[in-house]
Amino acid sequence: MQAVGVAKRFGGVVALSHGDFDLARGEVHVLMGSNGCGKSTLCKIVAGALAADAGEVRVGGRVTSFAGPAGARAAGIATVYQETSLIPTLSVVDNIVLGGERLSRFGLIDQKSRRARAMALLNGVGRELAAGIAPDALVSELGVDQRQAVEILKVLSQDSRILVFDESTSSLDRAQVAAFFGLVRALKAEGRSIVFISHRMDEVFAIGDRVTVVRNGVTVARRTIAETTRDEIIEDMVGTGATTIFARTRRPREAAVVMAAHNLTGARFRDASFALHRGEILGLGGLHGQGQSDLLLALFGAVPATGGTVEIGAKPANLNSPRAGMAAGLAYISGDRGRAGAFAVRPIMENLAIATLSRGHIWWLRPAALRARLTPVLARLRLKFPGFAAPISALSGGNQQKVIVGRWLVTDAKILLLDDPTKGIDIQAKRDLYALLEELCADGAAVILYSSEDVELLGNADRVLVFNSGRVVAELAGEQLTERHLNAAALAA
Amino acid sequence: MIALRRVPWALPAALFLILAAINAILQPSFVKPAVVVSNLGTFLPLAIISVGQTYVILGGGIDLSLGAIVSLVNVVVVGVVEGMGASSWALTAGIAAGLGTGLACGTLNGVLLGVLRLQPIVTTFATSIVFGGLAIWVRPEAGGSLPDAYFEGYSGTVLGVFPVPVLILLAVLGSAALLSRTRFYTYLLATGGGLQAAFQTGLPVPRVKIASHVLAGLFAAVAALCVLGETAAGDPLMGQAFTLTSVSAVVLGCTSLSGGAGTVVGSVLGAIIIGLINNVIFFAKLPFVYQSMVQGLIILAALAGGVLVTRR
Repeated sequence: MQAVGVAKRFGGVVALSHGDFDLARGEVHVLMGSNGCGKSTLCKIVAGALAADAGEVRVGGRVTSFAGPAGARAAGIATVYQETSLIPTLSVVDNIVLGGERLSRFGLIDQKSRRARAMALLNGVGRELAAGIAPDALVSELGVDQRQAVEILKVLSQDSRILVFDESTSSLDRAQVAAFFGLVRALKAEGRSIVFISHRMDEVFAIGDRVTVVRNGVTVARRTIAETTRDEIIEDMVGTGATTIFARTRRPREAAVVMAAHNLTGARFRDASFALHRGEILGLGGLHGQGQSDLLLALFGAVPATGGTVEIGAKPANLNSPRAGMAAGLAYISGDRGRAGAFAVRPIMENLAIATLSRGHIWWLRPAALRARLTPVLARLRLKFPGFAAPISALSGGNQQKVIVGRWLVTDAKILLLDDPTKGIDIQAKRDLYALLEELCADGAAVILYSSEDVELLGNADRVLVFNSGRVVAELAGEQLTERHLNAAALAA
Repeated sequence: MIALRRVPWALPAALFLILAAINAILQPSFVKPAVVVSNLGTFLPLAIISVGQTYVILGGGIDLSLGAIVSLVNVVVVGVVEGMGASSWALTAGIAAGLGTGLACGTLNGVLLGVLRLQPIVTTFATSIVFGGLAIWVRPEAGGSLPDAYFEGYSGTVLGVFPVPVLILLAVLGSAALLSRTRFYTYLLATGGGLQAAFQTGLPVPRVKIASHVLAGLFAAVAALCVLGETAAGDPLMGQAFTLTSVSAVVLGCTSLSGGAGTVVGSVLGAIIIGLINNVIFFAKLPFVYQSMVQGLIILAALAGGVLVTRR
C-alpha cells in the first residue's frame, strides 16, 4: 500500500498538507508525530475512514478510494480503533464476529460456527491478550483494557491483509502489551502488513521495522528502526527551527498565589500538586488523555476529586459542583464547544449572558440593561457578528469560542481553566484568543491551560506541568520550554 | 444481579404471577380453561403489537404509528370483504389486503427513518396521522361487519382441542424465536446498542432499520386481524389506544428504551400484565371513573420499580 501527497482540510484548518506513507508486505510500520501533527488524519485516510482532498492512495498498485468503512473492509484493510467500534450491549463473542456471521442451511446464523470462530481467537492467538475475559460477558461489563483486547480480536476475525492499530497499546498494561506484540509478530509471520501508531518509544523500538514521522501535516522522515536512534526520531518530530509563532511576552512571576492544589487525586489523575500565581499561565502538557482534562474538570467541580485539597486565595475550597466552582471565581472553557460550551440554537446574547444569569439573583431579564453590559465585552473579544439575536451556531468555531470565553469575562472570573480551547479553530481566532489571555493575565487573572498542540502550550504558558498516566512527571519553565524537552518528558515511560 | 440481567424478564414474570394470583382470588373462574382462552383472546392484539414495537425499540427507534396501522388494516379488511360480497374468496382476499396494508405502512416508516434518517418520534407521529386519516377516508364511521365464519373461527379450535388464539400466540413466539437466530436480529441489536459502532463495523444500518419497521407493520396487521376476531366490525378509530400501551408493555418487559437490549418474551409478558391489571380493576368493582387512573398508577409503579431494581 502506498499513499502519495495526501492532503486534508477541515473547514479552514489544514490538518494534513503533504502526507506520504508506504507499507510493504509483512512489515510493521510505525507512524509517529507529536500532538496535532496530522498523523491520525493520515492514518484515517489510509484506513478509509476519511477521504483525502488531494493525493492518492494505492493498494496493490491500484488507485483506490473507499466508500466508507465497509469499502475499506472489502479491500482488506481493517482498523483497530480505540474501543469505539464495539457494541456495549452485545456479548464478547457476538462483537468479535459481528458483520462476518456465517449462515446455516436455513438462513439462520450458524451459532456453532460463530462461537467456534470467536473461541478460536480467544483461545488461540489472543489467549494471553484476552486472559480473563468471559466469552459471554457483555462488552459493557469489561474494563477499558479488556475492551481494547476484544477490539483487536474483532479486527483479526476479518482476515484482513492490512491492519491499522491506532494507539492500541495506550490502555493496555505491560503484560498485555507483551501479549499484543506476540500477536503482531505472528501476524507479520503470516505476511500481513501492520500500521502501528504509538507514542511510547520503547514500543516503537520493540516492534517496528520502519517508522514514518509526520510534522505539521507533512511527512518529514522515513527511517528503518534498526538504523536509527530515539534522539533522531525526536529530532524529526520537533524539527530544528523550533517554531514558536505565538511567543508571548513573559513577565516576572507575581508572588500572590491564587490557587493551590495539594496531592489532588481523581479517577484519572493522581497526586497533582501545584501553585498558580496571579497573572500566570500554567500549562498542562503531555500526550493526549493523560489526565489533564480530568484535572481541570475536577478543579471546576464538574467531576469529584477523591483525595487531596484545593485552596483558592489561601482559603480551603470545597469544589463539589460547577456552581461552587463558579462562586469561587473559576471558569471552565472546553474545546468541545458542541458538547460542553455552546447552546447551539440559542442567540449570541443568551450564550454570552448565561453564566452571569445563573450567579446573580436575577428574576426579570431586562434585555436593554443586559445589552449595555455585554457590549463592551464583545468589543474586547474583537468579535464580528451579525447581531445579538443571531444563534451562536451562525458563527465560525473560532468566534463561537470567543463568545464562550466572553461568557466568563462577564462574570469577572479570576481563574480560567482552559481545556484544549482552540480545538478546530482557525489561526486568526487563535491569535485573538491568545492576545485576550495575555490581556486578562496582565489584569490579574490566572490561567491553567491544557492544549493538545505543543506549539500552543509552549508559546503561551509560563510553566508547563507534563503529565504521563495521570501523574505530573516533569515541570518545565524558562529555557526548558521547548518541544524537545516537552516531548522527551512526555515520552519517557 | 448478573443472574437477573441474564433473564431480563424475571421481574415482569414475578409481577405476572402476583397479578394472576390477585385475579384468581377476585374472580374464582379465572383458572378455568375457557376463561384463560377468552382472556388470552382479549390480550392477544396488544401482545402482538408489542412484539412488533419491541423490534423497533431494540433497533434504537420507536414507532408511534402502530395503533393507526391497526385502525387502517381494520377498515381495509372489512371494506374488501364487504366489497367482494358473497365470493368464497372474500375472507382470504380481505386478510391478504390487511397484511399487505401493514407491510406497506411499515415500509414507508422504515424508508423515512432508515434511508432519510428522520427523527423517529416526530416521523412516526406524522405517519400515524396519515394512516389514521386514510382509515377515516376508507370508512368515515364505525360500521360494517365480517361474516360470522370469521368470528367463529377466531373463538373456535383447531382439531377440536387447540384454541385459535393459543395457536396464534405460539406462532408469534415461534417466529420471534426463529427471528432471534437470524443475522438481521444480531445487526438490529448492534444498531440499537451502538449506531456509530455498527456503521464503523460496516453493517447495513439502513436496511436493518427498514426491516424492523416492516416487521412492526406486519405484526400490527396481524394484531388487527385478531381484534376483528373479537369485534368482527369495522371501526376507523379502534387502534389508537394501542400505540402508547404497546410502548408501556415493551418497557414493562424490561426492554431498554435506548435500544440494543431486551426480549420479545418480556414484551408479551408486559402486554399480558397490562391486560391483567385491567381485569383486576374490573373485578375489584372499582367505580368506572377511577379505572383509568388506577391503571396508570399501577403501570407507573411497575415501571419505576423495574427501573429502580435494574439500576442497582
